[in-house]
Amino acid sequence: MTSVILGARSLSKRYGAGIALDNVDLDIQAGESVAVMGASGSGKTTLLHTLAGITIPDAGTVSYSGTDITALNETQRSKLRRESFGFVFQQGLLIPELTAIENVALALMLNGVLRRDAEAQSAGWLAHLGLSGMEGRRIGELSGGQAQRVAIARAQVTGARIVFADEPTGALDSHTSADVMTALLEATAGRGHTLVLVTHDSTVASRCSRTLYMHDGVLSPALPARPGAAPAGESAGGSNYLAGPR
Amino acid sequence: MKTTIPILWMMSRPAPGNKAVVALPATAFALVTALLLIVLAGALSFFTHPAPADGFGTAGAYQNLALVALALLILPLLTLGGSAARLSARRRDERLSTLRLLGATPALVGFMAVVEATAVAVLGIAAGIVLYAAALPAVALIHFQGHALGLAGLWLDPLVVLATAAALIVLAAISAAVGMRQVALTPLGVRTRQKAPTVHWVRAALGAGAAVVLYLGMANITASGSIAAVVVILLAAFAGGLALLNLMGPYVLKWFAGRQVRRAATAVRLLAARTILESPKAAWRQVSGLAMTSFIAVVAGTGLAVLNGAGAGIGTAEANLYNDMRTGVMITVVASFLLVACSAGVNQAAAILDRRELYISLDRMGMPRTVMDAARKRAIMSPVRIVTVGSAVLSGVLLFPLTGLAMIFSPLSLLVIAGILAGGIGLIWLGLAASAPVLGRVLAGGSTAAD
Ligand SMILES: Nc1ncnc2c1ncn2[C@@H]1O[C@H](COP(=O)(O)OP(=O)(O)O)[C@@H](O)[C@H]1O
Ligand SMILES: [Mg+2]
Repeated sequence: MTSVILGARSLSKRYGAGIALDNVDLDIQAGESVAVMGASGSGKTTLLHTLAGITIPDAGTVSYSGTDITALNETQRSKLRRESFGFVFQQGLLIPELTAIENVALALMLNGVLRRDAEAQSAGWLAHLGLSGMEGRRIGELSGGQAQRVAIARAQVTGARIVFADEPTGALDSHTSADVMTALLEATAGRGHTLVLVTHDSTVASRCSRTLYMHDGVLSPALPARPGAAPAGESAGGSNYLAGPR
Repeated sequence: MKTTIPILWMMSRPAPGNKAVVALPATAFALVTALLLIVLAGALSFFTHPAPADGFGTAGAYQNLALVALALLILPLLTLGGSAARLSARRRDERLSTLRLLGATPALVGFMAVVEATAVAVLGIAAGIVLYAAALPAVALIHFQGHALGLAGLWLDPLVVLATAAALIVLAAISAAVGMRQVALTPLGVRTRQKAPTVHWVRAALGAGAAVVLYLGMANITASGSIAAVVVILLAAFAGGLALLNLMGPYVLKWFAGRQVRRAATAVRLLAARTILESPKAAWRQVSGLAMTSFIAVVAGTGLAVLNGAGAGIGTAEANLYNDMRTGVMITVVASFLLVACSAGVNQAAAILDRRELYISLDRMGMPRTVMDAARKRAIMSPVRIVTVGSAVLSGVLLFPLTGLAMIFSPLSLLVIAGILAGGIGLIWLGLAASAPVLGRVLAGGSTAAD
């Protein structure tokens, strides 16, 4: 059974003379975990931001559950991101003066949940991610891996159906990176939610259900699966599909 | 360092979208310069055009009071100058860290930032001199000694203007250097050094002890009831109260913020309270000028109200002196509020730039801009309210016998004081509002949205 949760059509975005997105088409199924790989500057972050309604493309549409989010105004997109999407960034980017649990609870409080309920749900998520006993710690008192788990809790505590992660393991050593990936996949795809992840690391990408490649703004589907990589479920029928491996 | 000048030149070309960050400190320096020159002109005019000699020694009193007013304004002036210099030193965040990445030493990068900050200050100071000249005709209308000050006495000797400007430039350079020491220049970015907040209950205990001693002293002296005693009370209450406020301020803010963190039901309240709790000392530093100002307003206002009420059958010279003291107090308080409001705006701009990435990420996650703005405003306005009300109450209590008298003799003057305090709070709010475009610009630079 497939149901497309996020669909992009003919996305283009240029910055000055440079092309960040070149006629990109992409369908993402609910429950998928999609990794986007590619060289630095190839347009991965731009793609992620466009899919998430942070960046508006020069041309093309992004539809989420039937709504064209490129047609929404800033306030509407902000509300959509806060209520339906979750985000994990490379550097955690948690609020340093809040405690771990407050950082997670804030995401719920912004959606109108009462503080007591928000903290109760957040405590559950922190415990689930192996952070019990650290609820009251400030962000500076957490390790990089722990901070990323707090960020994962923050991204999923609202029940967001899609989590966007931009190099979430980029600042971690390989061992911690594997742990954080396990936590991220369990928290998202493991619960039927969708993960869209940008990474440089093929080991990280190999744990996702599908890998896509960006090259100068052009998106192409998986290269031949390497050992250990989950086979790609669907092919991203793209108008810019550059046939075959390089 | 032969490479310094070319690199400096290359890096100091204006970056797009950075206007507010140059404009804020430059404006602050313009205001500091203009206010300082005006106050200096007013103060000196009492020396160059002294009141006619009389039996009361009025001329001497004017000169002394003018010096006191000048002294009271120096501190907030210097604070604002320092904040402005720090802001312009920090605004180069990315460029400075890029330089570090390219291998420039922290010393070189720091030196360049100080040079830049000083250059911005020079711009502002030049504008301030023009502002001073432009404002003089209005200042000349203020009545002292029964007649308008007049333009003639207010023009400062060009040498005095130049010396003041030079002193301010040195101040800007020193503050920028101190400001740079508070940030860590790493290749990964320019960050405010994190210091563990250390606010000890001993402060509160010491403060409470001093308050009791001061209060007992006040009560004894008031009992004797002479005019000399009133003056002693005012001075002691003033000095003691200020010391007390500075001792207890951070602790009081910490206590209030701690309570607010536990009670906060909304994201805005939680963020604001945690921001204060993060560094009560920093929060206090932003509003301590205000504490002093409220204190001046209440102590001087009360004293004048009492003297006014008591002095029914006094001569014109003395009546003039009381009127003029009231005018002087008002000018000092309003100028001081203006400076505090400016500092609030400038400090906020620096704070936003310091946390640029965090704000951008929160925006991406969908935190409404209104929430960010409300939280950072509340983090200042809540201490502002605590401090204004707190120092007004504290001075009222210390001076209770006098405030009691003032309430009976001239309730109107107490109302005027309350009005001035409320107006001052409004000014600070405006200062904060002026920093909002900086947040807007930071977010606009972060999200690549086309709208
Ligand atoms: N806000 C921006 N302004 C100008 N150019 C940008 C901006 N964001 C991205 N770019 C450019 O678009 C291209 C793709 O960037 P990005 O999506 O960040 O790549 P990646 O994440 O793959 O490293 C790069 O050439 C980059 O310089
Ligand atoms: Mg990127």
